[in-house]
Amino acid sequence: MTALLTTTDLVTCAGVARTFGTGPTAVVAVHDVTCSVSRTTRAALTGSSGSGKSTLLHLLAGLDTPTAGTVNWPGLGGHPLARPGRIGVVFQGPSLLPALTVAENVALPMLLDDSDSLGDSTERDAHARALEALTVLGIADLHPRLPEELSGGQAQRVAVARVLAARPALILADEPTGQLDHETAATVIGALLTASDELDAALVVSTHDPLIAARLPEQWVMRDGSMIESREAGR
Amino acid sequence: MTGVWLLGMVRRRPGRLIGTAVGIALAVALLASLGSFLAHAKATMTSRAVRGVTVDWQVQVHSGANVPGVAQAVRSTAGVRAMDTVGFARTSGLAATTAGSTQTTGAGVVLGLPADYRTAFPGELRTLVGTDSGVLLAQQTAANLHAAPGDTISIGRAGRAPVSVRVAGVVDLPQADSLFQTVGAPAGSQPSAPPDNVVLLPSPLWSQVFAPLAAARPDLVSTQIHVGLDHRLPSDPASAYTRVVASAHNLEARAAGAAQVGDNLAAALGAARQDAAYAQVLFVFLGLPGALLAGLLTATLAASGATRRRAEQALLRARGATAAQLMRLAGIEAGVTGVLGAAVGLGAAAVVGQVAFGSAAFGTTASSAAVWSGASAVIGLLIAAAAVLAPARRALRQETVSAGRSAVGALHYPAWARYGLDAGALIVAGLVFTATSRNGYQIVLAPEGVPTISVSYWAFLGPALLWLGGGLLAWRLADGALGRGRPVLARALRPFTQRLSGVVAGGMSRQRRPLVRAIVLLGLAVCFAVSTATFNATYRKQAEADAQLTNGADVTVTEPPGSSAGPDAARTLSAISGVKAVEPIQHRFAYVGTDLQDLYGVRPNTIRHVTALQDAYFRGGTAAALMARLGAQPDSILVSAETVKDFQLHPGDTLNLRLVDNRTHQQRAVPFHYAGIVAEFPTAPKDSFFVANADYVARMSGSNAVGAFLVDTGGRNTGAVARRIQSTLGSAAQVTDISTVRTTVGSSLTAVDLAGLTRVELAFALVLAAAAGGLVLALGLAERRRSFAILAALGARRRHLRSFIASETLVLTVGGLAVGIAIGWVLSDMLVKVLTGVFDPPPSAVTVPWTYLTGVALIAVATLAAVTAVAVRAVSKPAINVLREL
Repeated sequence: MTALLTTTDLVTCAGVARTFGTGPTAVVAVHDVTCSVSRTTRAALTGSSGSGKSTLLHLLAGLDTPTAGTVNWPGLGGHPLARPGRIGVVFQGPSLLPALTVAENVALPMLLDDSDSLGDSTERDAHARALEALTVLGIADLHPRLPEELSGGQAQRVAVARVLAARPALILADEPTGQLDHETAATVIGALLTASDELDAALVVSTHDPLIAARLPEQWVMRDGSMIESREAGR
Repeated sequence: MTGVWLLGMVRRRPGRLIGTAVGIALAVALLASLGSFLAHAKATMTSRAVRGVTVDWQVQVHSGANVPGVAQAVRSTAGVRAMDTVGFARTSGLAATTAGSTQTTGAGVVLGLPADYRTAFPGELRTLVGTDSGVLLAQQTAANLHAAPGDTISIGRAGRAPVSVRVAGVVDLPQADSLFQTVGAPAGSQPSAPPDNVVLLPSPLWSQVFAPLAAARPDLVSTQIHVGLDHRLPSDPASAYTRVVASAHNLEARAAGAAQVGDNLAAALGAARQDAAYAQVLFVFLGLPGALLAGLLTATLAASGATRRRAEQALLRARGATAAQLMRLAGIEAGVTGVLGAAVGLGAAAVVGQVAFGSAAFGTTASSAAVWSGASAVIGLLIAAAAVLAPARRALRQETVSAGRSAVGALHYPAWARYGLDAGALIVAGLVFTATSRNGYQIVLAPEGVPTISVSYWAFLGPALLWLGGGLLAWRLADGALGRGRPVLARALRPFTQRLSGVVAGGMSRQRRPLVRAIVLLGLAVCFAVSTATFNATYRKQAEADAQLTNGADVTVTEPPGSSAGPDAARTLSAISGVKAVEPIQHRFAYVGTDLQDLYGVRPNTIRHVTALQDAYFRGGTAAALMARLGAQPDSILVSAETVKDFQLHPGDTLNLRLVDNRTHQQRAVPFHYAGIVAEFPTAPKDSFFVANADYVARMSGSNAVGAFLVDTGGRNTGAVARRIQSTLGSAAQVTDISTVRTTVGSSLTAVDLAGLTRVELAFALVLAAAAGGLVLALGLAERRRSFAILAALGARRRHLRSFIASETLVLTVGGLAVGIAIGWVLSDMLVKVLTGVFDPPPSAVTVPWTYLTGVALIAVATLAAVTAVAVRAVSKPAINVLREL
């Protein structure tokens, strides 16, 4: 059910559970999941709505704390919140800052990462990298706009660009193509795969879409909070 | 649906609800507290005015009229508590031979008083030496005649032989002005000065002495019936005045032309109703801006959730909710916050009333309590409606669903800014102020004998428009600085935000409208604190100056008439514990032409060490310059403006005064040179007087006798020092201290209630300043917690989040304080000038209460810093409930 633990693992989960609330109304979102993510991981996380995909991604990103089990980030040098920029997350819903332009939104993770090699001329360089990422996704012309001036699909592509521009070691994408048409979705997934190859970054994408899932070599399947299957494509 | 909505609002948006309710509570509490103050102040003014009157009516019986008949008419008047018949007779002159010399006086008045007069009208006479009954001399008359108890004086009777009587005592007549008034003088005429010479005889003796004169010269003898009334009157001075005047008119009508009422009670109430009108004006000038500010605060707090509310509305509209349903939901929010705010506000006002005025009731009667609490609560509900319902209605009418979901939106200039309403308001404020100043800042007119008072409320337009125009101009400037000035802002923020400065400045600039509103609101709150505190500080200083003018210094020792104590007696006083300095002041009477005036001889070089001489007391130079002139040119003299006008004086002119020469006991002409005008001087009366160099007066009059010693105690323990001085000197000298005088001088407005008003206003100003900054910032940040959660999820560390939040706090603090100080400064000056009628004496400059204002600034900054610290801490970890929505 799980990948083998190796020293090159970026993230490891052991018997991880996440329960929301207490007592009879408690909801078990994730239950006893053990998994690991290495730099070569290119996984599609599939499962029905409410199966725990988003919660697991949040746990892997260090944005949430498990109620049982442990999550470690051996290949990232510690908790991601203490080392910003190492993990890039594409959220399911709108996640752009409304008061910043598209270019500023994409450049933001780089400006927040004090450990990068941008030096003193960071703002200009960050904007240059932001434009690069927007160009890869074919939306460079949107750079001066505000998020509220974008369609849902455009906003999601900007969120993907934001992750790519930051050049993380691990990309976690939560339904990144949920609001996109097939053609654009294919472009976005293609961009994520290309970026993960170029950056030597791991990629975990949660999705409902079997076509999207099929483009990733590994398949992680969740049901009722548990990971019921972990296999490579074609097996 | 409404129940679910309400429950959801209480559970999910408690901050917004509580914040809005707090703003409403502040407005309601301020209005109710000030209303309570107003009602309480008016009641106190009435009781205070009434307490100061000893003889309420002096009913003048017309010559030849039937005195018992008039007395019967008086007796049958409702509310008459006491009455006595008093005889008035004019004497051709008085004479006394003492120590081998004979002194004579000019014409005078001889009163005939019944035996129970002192009991019926306590306070009308005050015995200085001798007994309480028998033949009594007024203080100045005793001085003129050099007479003392046991001496014999003769009373001249026109065309008849003088009568000799033995003096039993010397008295002071504290109410001489009203006692010797011309009953029936036309309204607005100058009050006649009390006679220089007064003798008081027991009624039987007076009748015996003047019955023959009354028969021969009835024009020289008259009768008054002095009346004491029941003082249970309406609490409002204007109502009490109307009742007393009506009762007097009724008596005159029943007397059918046989008598006329000299209405001392109405005169006192007339002054009190003017003070009450000023209290009302103060309520308008100082109270309403605070309530308005609290309303604005409420609107701003409600507006801080406007983006979310619009988005919720848009969502509901997209799901098919009708406009009526949405308005009902907004109405529920307005109703809940309005009722909650009004209830909390009334409770807070009750506490404030208890602490500040000693009563939790909003007024002195049940009806005034109901009116004030009801009116305040209604205003609270109106504020809730204006803050919540109006924007919801506007959004429904004007916005599309997609526009409603916008968080930033296009920043249009409001209509007022396009039409320059700010500049217009400031120009009109200047014009109104100029027009008011031409009128001598007379905003309350209470004509004598007229029941209605005229209050010029339009003078309020000047400060009101300045406030409005200043606030709008501040909005325009802040909007421009954050909009067009984004590059400058980014550079200014770089030290705090480093490479995030461009992003921080950009975000702040695009979402600047809530920040601009917060800056203006904080500015107006600080302005309210500055203007209110400055007005109150100036008022307090002038009230203190008034007390100093009346008493002279911390403690004043007035020598008895005829005392020959010289300046050396100061040594005895200096040795008393608690006395820091003693300054002798001579007091003489001097004739200029036929006019008798008080003359004060001072030591120009040292007088300022013990008493405050304000520049506003003088014209023709500052206090220091004129005292220096008196010192350099000993024959210089300061005179009243009236004397300058009457005698056409020009600086340097010789002014010959007639003074009694102590060596010859005869009057002699003494030359002085006019050096300047004095309007007020410590211990001096309100009317005309002279101030001259004491050494010159002593040399020319042959006497260095001192009238009073001014004692400086450093402002501490004045009562105790006064008691020690009194026990050292004995009962002959009159010792008064400033703390006792403070409670009795000035208008009723001065002494009674302003302290309570000050406490209430300063406390509210402090709360408003803290709330305007802190609450608006806190709610604004809370509304953007999703943005901060995204930032945290993107890897923003605490210092990054701090740089985002603290930059906003910094801009708000600097902008708000700058706006507040600038508008407050100008407004304070305008308020003090427009309300100059409240001050006695008028101030020459405003007094800035630095300690309080520094406290306000520190509290505002501390509140903002606390909100920032709490917000940074709260958003440092990604909020999982927010992230689950992402």
